[in-house]
Amino acid sequence: MTDPSTPAVDLQHYIERTAAAIGLSIAPEDMPAVAGIFANLARVAGPLMEFPLPADAEPSPVFVGGGTRR
Amino acid sequence: MTGAMTGVSDIAASVRDGRQTAVDVTSTSLDRIRAHDSSINAFTAVVAERALATAARVDDLVRMGRDPGPLAGVCFAVKNLFDVEGLTTLAGSRIDAALPPAIRDATLVARLESSGAVLVGALNMDEYAFGFSTQNSHYGPTRNPHDLSRIAGGSSGGSAAAVAAGLVPMSLGSDTNGSIRVPAALCGVFGLKPTYGRLSRAGTRLFAASFDHVGPFARSVADIAAVYDALQGPDPSDPACAGRPVEPVVPMLVQGTDGLRIALATGYFAGGGHPEVFAATEKAASALNVVLRVNLPEPALARAAAMIITASEGGELHLPDLKTQAASFDPMTRPLFLSGAVVPAAWYVRAQRFRRWYCRELEALFREVDVILAPTTPYPAFPIGQRMMEVDGRQLPAAGHLGVFTQPLSFAGLPVLAAPVAGSSALPLGIQIAAAPWREDLVLRVAAAAEAAGVLAPSPMRF
Repeated sequence: MTDPSTPAVDLQHYIERTAAAIGLSIAPEDMPAVAGIFANLARVAGPLMEFPLPADAEPSPVFVGGGTRR
Repeated sequence: MTGAMTGVSDIAASVRDGRQTAVDVTSTSLDRIRAHDSSINAFTAVVAERALATAARVDDLVRMGRDPGPLAGVCFAVKNLFDVEGLTTLAGSRIDAALPPAIRDATLVARLESSGAVLVGALNMDEYAFGFSTQNSHYGPTRNPHDLSRIAGGSSGGSAAAVAAGLVPMSLGSDTNGSIRVPAALCGVFGLKPTYGRLSRAGTRLFAASFDHVGPFARSVADIAAVYDALQGPDPSDPACAGRPVEPVVPMLVQGTDGLRIALATGYFAGGGHPEVFAATEKAASALNVVLRVNLPEPALARAAAMIITASEGGELHLPDLKTQAASFDPMTRPLFLSGAVVPAAWYVRAQRFRRWYCRELEALFREVDVILAPTTPYPAFPIGQRMMEVDGRQLPAAGHLGVFTQPLSFAGLPVLAAPVAGSSALPLGIQIAAAPWREDLVLRVAAAAEAAGVLAPSPMRF
């Protein structure tokens, strides 16, 4: 998949294709606002994708045993 | 003014020692709601019959010489994403209005009532909590009690406005990116977002589970500490609730700030807003003799990651309704959820990985300082309907930019109190007081000291 954080990408095309892939239909009258919001997400995602993260920066959840909950 | 409403601690003390009855206190609150809420629009439901019955049970306990609880007779209301038995949990939506009524109370509603408090109603919010302004198209905007032409902030706007107008002395809200702290600041009251995982969210409508917190609003540090203590405790019904024991903060409030390293956040937190905001923050820091300055690690990226995770989790959560009844969403939130539903997985996972890096960096920072001060919002409440706001010569989305200072703190799950700065301007402004995870005690100790020094105070009631 083309990375939509790349400025040259046609974001509306990406939105339409991705929405179709998950069975979502976006009404034409909603598309300008959706594209505008998505463009802002793409703008802020760019530096985040470029930020160098160590390989051990991982999002796995932590499981706590020992009956602290029950 | 219809019947003066005093604070949580005063009301509870007077009911416990029999100087007034819980039924009288509750009747006063219900009278004030009837008299003033039509102009504020904080409430979406009032449960008068239930409230008077609960209050009567509290009075019975007092008459029998039994302990009615630390919050005896204190009225409260909850953001309408909390389950209330017999009410449909709206979460600010029209879609969920078709659901059956809740069959039991949310954990925190039950905890407050078991402490003697009296639920009087449910409160307005942005649809599904996706917003900072409570300009709800289905139920109308909640109006700021200090200027009815302006927003109350959001998404817990009803929760802040109800306390600011003295309709109830305490309330509950939720905070994913600032939804307790923003309305607390704009309405001039205290709002506490505890550590992620501290308070049970069981029986609440989630929004973005990675960041969803719940917490209280009140008009003083002692009051919000008393409510917070009653809310604490593990709950197996919420998988994110950390299972920590109750760690009371009320006894800690008198300990002062001696030995605490308090720092003012600078860099990112010293720009991107209107000058009066930074002046208010500096004033509070100066009164506490704060000389340390800290830069948080990559706060702009933290905000970016929070935006991506929030949009993605919210979009996925509501995907079934976006597919089948998108037109029933609030026009304010529909494009937010739709755009979130198509966020690429690579962005989402990168944002979650960045969160781990960021939390480690903050862990190191909190070895150098104990408490961090920062502004809460970049400007005071703006007029209802205003779409854009000028900041540093740029036009920014007026509501969306309200979270610029709150998002980098909740992104790491830190405990944060939004506190009103006394006499900061014509409209209320707040500061954030933050500490390392699980150190709500430090946050509230600093707040108590600042309140005692006259720096923090709720904006005077106008009703």
